[in-house]
Amino acid sequence: MNVFKPKGDFDAASFDSGKDVAAESARWLKEAFAPARGSAPDRKKFLTDTGVPIEPLYTPAHLDRIGFDYLRDLGFPGEYPFTRGDRPGMNRTDPFVVSAYAGYGDAEASNARFKRLLDVGAEQILVALDLPTQCGYDSDHEMAAAEVGNVGVAIDTLADMEIMFDGIRADSVKRIGTLGNSIGPIVLAQYAALGEKQGVPWDRYTVNLQNDPLKEYIARGTQILPPAPAAKLAADCVGWCAEHAPHWSPMTVCVNHINAGGAGSSMGTAIALANVRHYLDLLLARGHSIDQVAPLLHMFPDERHDFFVSIANLRALRRIWARLMKESYGAKSPEAMACKTTVYGHGQEALAEPLNNIPRTAFGTLAYMLGGASYIYLAGYDEAVSTPNENSARVALRTLQIIANEHGFADAIDPLGGSYYVETLTAQIEKQILDGMAQIERVGGALPVISTGFGRRVMTEGAVRRQRAIDSGDRPWVTVNMWKQKPNVPNTAFRGDAQAAERQLARLAQVKANRDQARVKAALAEVERATAEDRNTVPSVLEAVRAYVTEGEIVDIWRRQFGTFVPSTDF
Amino acid sequence: MTPATAGAAQRRKIRVLIAKVGLDGHDVGARVVARGLLDAGMEVIYTGLRRTTEDVVRAAIEEDVDWIGVSILSGAHQVLLPKLRRLLDEAEAGDIRIIAGGIIPQEDIPALCENGVSQVFLSGTSIAEIVDYLMRESAPQSKDMT
Repeated sequence: MNVFKPKGDFDAASFDSGKDVAAESARWLKEAFAPARGSAPDRKKFLTDTGVPIEPLYTPAHLDRIGFDYLRDLGFPGEYPFTRGDRPGMNRTDPFVVSAYAGYGDAEASNARFKRLLDVGAEQILVALDLPTQCGYDSDHEMAAAEVGNVGVAIDTLADMEIMFDGIRADSVKRIGTLGNSIGPIVLAQYAALGEKQGVPWDRYTVNLQNDPLKEYIARGTQILPPAPAAKLAADCVGWCAEHAPHWSPMTVCVNHINAGGAGSSMGTAIALANVRHYLDLLLARGHSIDQVAPLLHMFPDERHDFFVSIANLRALRRIWARLMKESYGAKSPEAMACKTTVYGHGQEALAEPLNNIPRTAFGTLAYMLGGASYIYLAGYDEAVSTPNENSARVALRTLQIIANEHGFADAIDPLGGSYYVETLTAQIEKQILDGMAQIERVGGALPVISTGFGRRVMTEGAVRRQRAIDSGDRPWVTVNMWKQKPNVPNTAFRGDAQAAERQLARLAQVKANRDQARVKAALAEVERATAEDRNTVPSVLEAVRAYVTEGEIVDIWRRQFGTFVPSTDF
Repeated sequence: MTPATAGAAQRRKIRVLIAKVGLDGHDVGARVVARGLLDAGMEVIYTGLRRTTEDVVRAAIEEDVDWIGVSILSGAHQVLLPKLRRLLDEAEAGDIRIIAGGIIPQEDIPALCENGVSQVFLSGTSIAEIVDYLMRESAPQSKDMT
């Protein structure tokens, strides 16, 4: 009989030999790895974008070093501290929601696009608004010239909402909503009034808003008012939903733009959590309880450079959120302690050879799925240069469906949990985020991050560091610093649709001429009073929206009452 | 540095106004370029976000700059850049030159260049390339300090 027998000391005895893993790892590094590495320079810098050095090999010794304790640090999915997932079944029973971010031109053009996306299998539509709408200008305002319908759809009144969702009932998708960061109460009112128009009660559909104005001042740039009143208006939306639609998600606090702008995902997460604290404090001061409002806030984490950091970041974020809610805010309900996450799959997208952005964004998205995100969007391969075209939007949705259903990616929950590497990185990223939070505390919190220039400074410094890493080749980037190709901006890039813009202007003029002017006047007066008396602004705005008051007419009242932001000229 | 550019640098540092016009709020690229030009020894002023073309012209004249670097990623370049050129010329500041950066389709570049934009740098251009261009182009036509 030919029975395989291990030779030499490779037998059971050697496993109990009392050899120390740390010592053995050190031996391997010296005797095996170092000679293999030779004296040639490293082919790249083994350093995450957030600044964690990556070792060649991770072993149980690393878990000892971070003092890994399974029950304390991980626990189980859907249970404190939620490291392994915000819900018990995760993708096994409760798959992430396949989401599409779309909108361009006017309501008509967008309606047709949405229907095609739903046909392909989109489960959630997040409406991309054009810049005038995001910045509080009606399409006929002089600041809107040349920008109507360019980077998203123009929405001036409820009439546009009715057309945009014609034939798409609010309860036919898992979530419906938009960004509306600086106009939160208005977009919330538009989506509430849409249900009324369609005859769908608020408890039958779910509205999701980004409604996170604080990051606009340092990262995204659609701010209208000074930061303090802008945050208050955003918090009003959460407060109103807590009373009238507690299952909606009226605020998604973003790391995304802060990281992309240069802060890095760890400092970006710290800044976003400071913003969370600011919004929550406003709500608590209004008499809400933490268990009532925390479940209404979602996070929008972001990491596009390092696959494993992305996974570690989501896991660390959930752990930090759970402890923050429980220990700092005294939350009692698991819903308040479970951090729900929306993500947008990116990679290092390049302008040259844009089809290469398909694998890039797919890998970025896979990391988010492995990290346990609840709602996932995926960037179109042409998104760096345009609102996604029909084809790229379809490829993005199909990629999400492939990740959700093929390869067995989504079979086991938190499949990388317990990995020496991922657990070590999760602990390291957690520490970076906590250090960032401590630094922000010293600056004074969310508003001083903006007013002292701290936020912009860390972003510019990070962006310069990234540019240097690309220019020097420390951060490899195919077709940009390896196998270089000329960048190419296709002719379809953010090309305004002149016809859609004309339709929009005509519709706006028609709506303004035909609405009940007395009702408009009364509604505007009530918006003015509610704002001046520091009441929750949503009820007054909802009545104005129902009366076909334009977005710009409401924002003008806020501009008069609160003033406008002063753009920073620091760089 | 060629002798000509060395001479220009001695006469006067190159002054650049980095500008964001219109509603486009993405200014990371603009800020990174501003830092890069500053590090290369130029004098750099940044307008901040959401400026009108009129604001930019006013700032450019007040700050007596040689160049305006406009960053546009929102697709409004075809309207805003020619308008900026026209306003500069009308304000008798025709000697202030414009470069543009960001997301601008290839197809649009020749028309922009015919309408008074000196050069377009797309996303992905290295800072060194922009610095070299400004040094080279500033040399013969640099403003006289007298």
